[in-house]
Amino acid sequence: MARKDFLDIASLTREEVDLLLDQATPFKELFTRSVKKVPALKGKSVLMLFYEPSTRTLSSFEVAAKRLSADVIDLDVPHSSVTKGETVKDTVDTLQAMRADYIVVRHKMSGLPQAIARQTRASVINAGDGAHAHPTQALLDAFTLREVFPDLAGRKVLIAGDILHSRVARSTSRLLLKLGVEVGFLGPGSLLPLSGPEEIRRFTDFDEALRWKPDTVYLLRVQMERQDAQYFPGVQEYHRVYGITSERLDRIRGEGVYVMHPGPVNRGVELCHEVMDYERSLINQQVENGIAARMAVLYSLKPQTDLQDTDQGHI
Amino acid sequence: MPLILDEAAIGKAVASLVEEIRAVAQHGRIAIVGVRSRGDEVAERVSAALGEQKIEHDYGVLDISLYRDDLSHLAENPKLQSSDIPFQVDGAHIVLVDDVLFTGRTIRAALDALTDYGRPARIQLAVLIDRGHREIPIQPDFSGVILETARMDHVIVRLKKTDGGDAVELVSTP
Amino acid sequence: MRLFIKGGKIAAEEGPLTAGDVLIEDGVIAAVGEDLGAPPDTQVINAEEKIVAPAMFDAHVHFREPGQEYKEDIAHGTEAAINGGVTGVVMMPNTSPAIDSPAVVRSILERARDVSRIPVYTSGCITKDRAGSELSGIDGMRQLGVVMLTDDGDPVANPAVLKNAMEYATPFGMFFASHCEVAELSGPRALNEGKVSYQLGIKGSPACSEEICMDRDIRLAYAAGARIHIQHVSSAIGMETIRWWKQMGAEVTAEVSPHHLMFNEEDIGDYDTHYKMNPPLRTAEDNAALLEGLKEGVFDLIATDHAPHSKFEKEQDFVSAPNGITGLETALVSLHDRFVTSGQIGWDLIVKRYSAEPRRMMGLEVVPVEESKPAELIVFDPGGETTFSREFMRSKSSNTPFLDQTLQGRVDLVVRGSEILLQR
Repeated sequence: MARKDFLDIASLTREEVDLLLDQATPFKELFTRSVKKVPALKGKSVLMLFYEPSTRTLSSFEVAAKRLSADVIDLDVPHSSVTKGETVKDTVDTLQAMRADYIVVRHKMSGLPQAIARQTRASVINAGDGAHAHPTQALLDAFTLREVFPDLAGRKVLIAGDILHSRVARSTSRLLLKLGVEVGFLGPGSLLPLSGPEEIRRFTDFDEALRWKPDTVYLLRVQMERQDAQYFPGVQEYHRVYGITSERLDRIRGEGVYVMHPGPVNRGVELCHEVMDYERSLINQQVENGIAARMAVLYSLKPQTDLQDTDQGHI
Repeated sequence: MPLILDEAAIGKAVASLVEEIRAVAQHGRIAIVGVRSRGDEVAERVSAALGEQKIEHDYGVLDISLYRDDLSHLAENPKLQSSDIPFQVDGAHIVLVDDVLFTGRTIRAALDALTDYGRPARIQLAVLIDRGHREIPIQPDFSGVILETARMDHVIVRLKKTDGGDAVELVSTP
Repeated sequence: MRLFIKGGKIAAEEGPLTAGDVLIEDGVIAAVGEDLGAPPDTQVINAEEKIVAPAMFDAHVHFREPGQEYKEDIAHGTEAAINGGVTGVVMMPNTSPAIDSPAVVRSILERARDVSRIPVYTSGCITKDRAGSELSGIDGMRQLGVVMLTDDGDPVANPAVLKNAMEYATPFGMFFASHCEVAELSGPRALNEGKVSYQLGIKGSPACSEEICMDRDIRLAYAAGARIHIQHVSSAIGMETIRWWKQMGAEVTAEVSPHHLMFNEEDIGDYDTHYKMNPPLRTAEDNAALLEGLKEGVFDLIATDHAPHSKFEKEQDFVSAPNGITGLETALVSLHDRFVTSGQIGWDLIVKRYSAEPRRMMGLEVVPVEESKPAELIVFDPGGETTFSREFMRSKSSNTPFLDQTLQGRVDLVVRGSEILLQR
């Protein structure tokens, strides 16, 4: 895969998707060794540019990069309120001077990683931009599903929650559709976008959605921090109508449905406590697979920082 | 394309490797580890032959893509496959198997990969073809065939499982 | 000074192109007709196969002076206008400080007298600093010739404030121009709410935001007996509102910009800020409906909303980048390239909507190519080409989707009075 950046799912071909999913497996195999590191990215530098707070994605990328023997630098950039465009541009110029090989960006402005990728020779990896995309999340989600359902095509996945503001919903649904999975969206009417792929079924009733017989329910975190206006009347009503309550969990358990969540979870909102102990919850696998998927992405990209004429090394 | 070794010649080379490895296997349990790609197919044949002679041994496959020293010079990174080392590497007597030994860099990478699994008691190297022109001080313990080649020649190995037939060709560049 | 323009096809707001020569003497059109001979001591311009048209007038431009001269100033903006065949402009007042008092108006008019080769008119704010609460220095500005009041860049949020302003200023003969949107609905004012806003993951601005405000402002004007002009319409449904109110007899006019006729949200592609403006580009259906509306006369005039921004600013991420593109230099050529060459509109419409009606709205004399009228005309070569390179453009900014593109048509000559403002 001769690609510099990993910005979204939309720009990936089916071949590239299959390749990345296949490449995650050998990396997962490494976790069972005593030495989990490999020297593939030795001498390369990976810069973390996280403008939005995130412990799990940040640490997942850090572990992935370090296991590839890369040098990891966290550019502790300001998380505060509005970070204006010019500050980001100045940062990019600094990164150019530092000759970073890989830049992992998370920002609340949609499209920002793209803008950075255009301006730098480093490989830019989108770790989440605004409501637009979170492609590595989609990759690890698909990888996790494939472990449970080796034949993904024809399976059904129900994505539930605040679809409107969710980059995870967008990227994951897009990737699953590419792999032949049937996708449904469930959420309050005010959080279900009218536009979007027509192939995706839309539900505003959880029980009706369960009658559609999904193989997996993928819960989204209800993003209280992104609410600019009130989209639904409070957390209790949300949980009762759109969350996995204890009653719904019984039903889900009875039908052998799997549960996924990108984390961090809001107990009592999108799910009740018992879901965390549900035997068909794939939430922990998602975390583990996140590292393997991100290693696969880092390994597969080609920064243009040391453009040299290659004499295909004799080996 | 000038054929240098046909199916029979390759069969003879494998047989001679098996002979030498068998001698070593008498002294203690060994593990045959093939280096992808094609080294794994040679290792498979060696392992099958040892199996026929009722010599118990461990078997594994190593993908060394992540340990290559020339990754930054390539336009794209080679497609990874999983390694499979299902036995305990600590204290093992490992015989690495590869199809062609040339500069030695592949074996260097294999050694690095292997030692990240554990600390073997001993590592030996068996190659189907030794074509010379080492860039690193690595020598085989067992070799099937020794080929005289020029530095810029290409040695093309084809094996049944990977390529559909057995043949070794030598292509000279003018 | 004598100027003889030979062999061209003369465009007028009614009727087809007519072949004819034009003789200009001391800034007045002395004669128009076929096969006139050129008198002695006359500069002759060969206009064979070319169009001779009244010069254009742009009723909606942003010159960023005072306060943001790094983007544009009156000197560069007016040169850009001439480059595009435009000999008169109306500045919008969202400058820094805003054009909300006679002092600022005076300084602008003086500045224009010093540096501009064409007349510059300015609108004035409805409210002080466009903040939407206190009325600006309306009469003071009127004394200096301001006739249009607008808070362009923003709507007037409080309808009571707008109604009072209308009732106050209308007896002075002034009229109101409206930038229509409901701020609470518009989100970050980045793009249309629809398919593309979903894909790009940015909260969009629904068409109803513009439509609600359009309807509101026209009704307020109707109730207050005021004359109202709706600026930069982007929505087909909104256009129907205008059509309906015209039928009701309301004193409403409206403008459409070339970009809302030519581009839609799909053009944004990969977060290309050259397609980011306010109101945003909507759908292809809107493009088609607006073009029909222009042909049917629902729109009185074409205006570019020339909005220069520096390269650095437009290179920011999509939400942060400022709204708007330049238009003065590209309007005529792009309208010709897109719609005249394919026969969708003719030169009569161009002259009527981009030369005559804008002047009428401002209470100015129109400038037809007719005997005894003052000479204010352009020669346009429909067979020529214009490449909008950075070097070609006179504006300080080059934030246009046409950057480095070559379009069919070229402004070859601009004459005003006795002066040749441009000759290629």
